[in-house]
Amino acid sequence: MASVKKKSKSSSLSSIKPARKRTFRYAICVNNDGYPASLERGKLYSVIPDRSAAAHGYLRIVDESGEDYAYAAQRFFGVTIPRNLAIVLTNSRPAPSVR
Amino acid sequence: MEFKIIGQISEIETIAKGREIRSLVRLRKFYATGKWKKKKGIATVRLMDGTIRRAEVHWYEAHGIGKKEIKIKLPFLD
Repeated sequence: MASVKKKSKSSSLSSIKPARKRTFRYAICVNNDGYPASLERGKLYSVIPDRSAAAHGYLRIVDESGEDYAYAAQRFFGVTIPRNLAIVLTNSRPAPSVR
Repeated sequence: MEFKIIGQISEIETIAKGREIRSLVRLRKFYATGKWKKKKGIATVRLMDGTIRRAEVHWYEAHGIGKKEIKIKLPFLD
């Protein structure tokens, strides 16, 4: 009879690695209440990673003005896009607007 | 709104007027035609989580319409 080796599994919760929070570089606006000129519902926006903003529940978004601002993260749905699409969007992006 | 301004906005400056504003068409569409200006200033703000920070804020303004779409410009100043 073959012996079955059992792998010892630690049942300690400390052995479970917490899931990494994903950082999205793009997000779709799902709520533009109060900002109809700056955000368009359903539109894809660039996200600039910002830990300070994220710590308070905000995303740093390049909005319709071309500048980046802090918006509540709940207004957006983070998405991952194909690498080829990201390259095209990056190359076709107009120069950052001062205004 | 995702933050609250505490006190007055200081160091107010106009940073764009009329056609210099990229969102001018959208401002006129969603608010009204008018002589729009984009302004900036410094303010103490209370964030969604209750934290108080010092930040540069931007907004759009037109005579008779008032301030619209006040936004926090990152990074925080403090």
